[in-house]
Amino acid sequence: MESGLNQIRPIIQVNDLHKSFGTQEVLRGITLAVESGAVVSVIGASGSGKSTFLRCLNYLERPSSGEIIVDGETIGASAAAPGRRAAEPSSRDIARMRSTLGMVFQQFNLWPHMTVLGNVIEAPIQVKRMPRREAEDLGRQFLAKVNLLDKQNEYPAKLSGGQQQRVAIARALAMRPKVMLFDEATSSLDPELTTEVLEVMRDLARDGMTMLVVTHEMGFARDVSDRIVFLHAGRVEEDGCPAQVFNAPLSERCRQFVSSALG
Amino acid sequence: MFAVLQGAFDPALFWEYRVTLLIGLLQNLSIFAESAAVAIILAFIVGIARLSPRRALSWTATAYAEFFRNTPEYVLLVWIYFVLPLLLTKLVGMQVKFSPHLAAVIGLGVAYSGFMSETVRAGLRSIPGGQTEAAQSLGLSSLTILRRITLPQAIRRMLPEVINQLVSLFKATTIVSLISVQDIMYQVSMISVAEMRPVPLYTGAALIYCVVIIAATQALQALTQRWRTRGWA
Amino acid sequence: MIENFNRYVLANVEPLLGGLWVTLYVCFWSFLLALILGLVACLIRLRGGFLRYLAIPYIEFCRATPIFVQLLWVNYVWPEIFGFPQTVTGAGIIALALQSSGYLAETFRAGFDGLPKGQREAAAAVGMSRWRVLYRIELPQVALVAMPLVINQLAVIVKSSTLVSVIAISDLMYQGLKIVNQWYEPIEVLTAIALAYFLLIFSISRVANAVYVHFQAKFGIAGYR
Repeated sequence: MESGLNQIRPIIQVNDLHKSFGTQEVLRGITLAVESGAVVSVIGASGSGKSTFLRCLNYLERPSSGEIIVDGETIGASAAAPGRRAAEPSSRDIARMRSTLGMVFQQFNLWPHMTVLGNVIEAPIQVKRMPRREAEDLGRQFLAKVNLLDKQNEYPAKLSGGQQQRVAIARALAMRPKVMLFDEATSSLDPELTTEVLEVMRDLARDGMTMLVVTHEMGFARDVSDRIVFLHAGRVEEDGCPAQVFNAPLSERCRQFVSSALG
Repeated sequence: MFAVLQGAFDPALFWEYRVTLLIGLLQNLSIFAESAAVAIILAFIVGIARLSPRRALSWTATAYAEFFRNTPEYVLLVWIYFVLPLLLTKLVGMQVKFSPHLAAVIGLGVAYSGFMSETVRAGLRSIPGGQTEAAQSLGLSSLTILRRITLPQAIRRMLPEVINQLVSLFKATTIVSLISVQDIMYQVSMISVAEMRPVPLYTGAALIYCVVIIAATQALQALTQRWRTRGWA
Repeated sequence: MIENFNRYVLANVEPLLGGLWVTLYVCFWSFLLALILGLVACLIRLRGGFLRYLAIPYIEFCRATPIFVQLLWVNYVWPEIFGFPQTVTGAGIIALALQSSGYLAETFRAGFDGLPKGQREAAAAVGMSRWRVLYRIELPQVALVAMPLVINQLAVIVKSSTLVSVIAISDLMYQGLKIVNQWYEPIEVLTAIALAYFLLIFSISRVANAVYVHFQAKFGIAGYR
């Protein structure tokens, strides 16, 4: 039943999420809640389903079953009335839900035929129908936030990996999402370049952005997260604060993973 | 043999009939331009359809492309000129007739749309999927993604191959005389018969086409090279 | 329409099949000739010293001139200048071969260019004569890489062969048009011929594709299509 206190309602609620690719079941019932303003790191071995889980949230992968509630709106198979067959969410529902979630990809995925500023303002212009002038001001604001204002007229090919990823972050932020999803944002960066990106992510966390971060960077997970979720074989094996997960995990597998990851 | 060779190249003959020949050439050029337009438009429709997630659509488009890529142009021209009007007449109830020019434009247009649709498809697929995903996650609609992200990049990649195919199309316009279009080859045949001297005209035609095509190909490649390497590419 | 089919197609099956045979005959011989001419032109272009300056224009001419123009030229002009071909069939075969030899020469050239340089040097170091190297080491590899495109050229030859009906070679197209001109009932005959050509050419394309896939899997050759 609804409690009257809205701030207690988590901004993301996932109930019993399943996802199969053909006969391969990758997510085997994930239940998770993310509160507004929290930074949640998702860790786990390759193949544990971390990326798939993230991609189900903004419907880049279609969940096989389960419920996803983002900011009070349910999308997913059980959005239909009880007793009727689950309806496919309309593209408008998906688009609306995606505008609440911003995503940063491992491969940056900048559009090479547009300038840095062009990349950032494209979505506000096309989706929110923002006038160009306004969008450019907005874009410059976010580029300044990631320290790349001086590169606004460059093409992505001229930028380093770390710079490209920061542009990608600015591009996602420009749509003013309520939650930022990071899908192994630093995994394809050379070690020297990860710092600049992690810096930006720390700043974001400090400003109170809700963040769901799939990562291998244990240092970041331990220092910046409010909560850490350890996934193994498509299930949540450990879910707690950094101190617990790193120092006194309840699950043996989690303990093994963490100790080998931290070296 | 050398005496005959002397008579083989006779620019004077070309000069004498230059007006007739040029009018014929105009037919080739107009058919080329019109069928190129038809081919390009159809190629985009079919190429995009081939990538549709809807099976019925992609399968039909693939069947279309495979049929027109593997059927001789001459057969298509003849079929469209003779058979299609009869079928349409039966369908519509009114007498339908195609002019040779129209039949040639339709025939060459659909024939080459088959090849070009393959180029369009390959070009669209060459854009990394991650760019589309990023656009989707920002809330852009499929149409906007196609228009703003995929097509601008894909068209640049398609350009060299499309130019090759347009050159082939121009070469193919030489056969339109076979469905009674009074193009340059038609005029050449007429003049050869009238003058009883096939050697200089046919040799000249071969040489002129050869030179024109080589020159055009070089020029177009040079032009697109400059356009493609400008900016971000 | 079915009765028309019987009347005009099935009743004329003999001349139509005869035409098909002529088509296959012409295509086979011009394909063979094209392979030889293309290979020779390619080798001369790559290694022929000053003869290269003959090979290059030859290749460019064959590729740039439309097949129809070449056909008429070979048929009407060559007998007067060179004394051959004396038959229209010969003219058709030669013209089709010329057109394809240009493309094949370029295909082979790309194949040769793709060979690692070290191979020739290694073979020479072992003492193989240049001809041996060509024959045992280079050609087999080029043949492998070029095979899909070569088979595709056969498909192109079959497509272009429809034009030889214009110089009165009794191929499938010629026979079909003859029936149409006789009876003024084009629908069934022309549709049947279109389908026949399509099936023939489509099959050849499929073979080319299968060869490409098979060679990719078996030899891991980074070929080209």
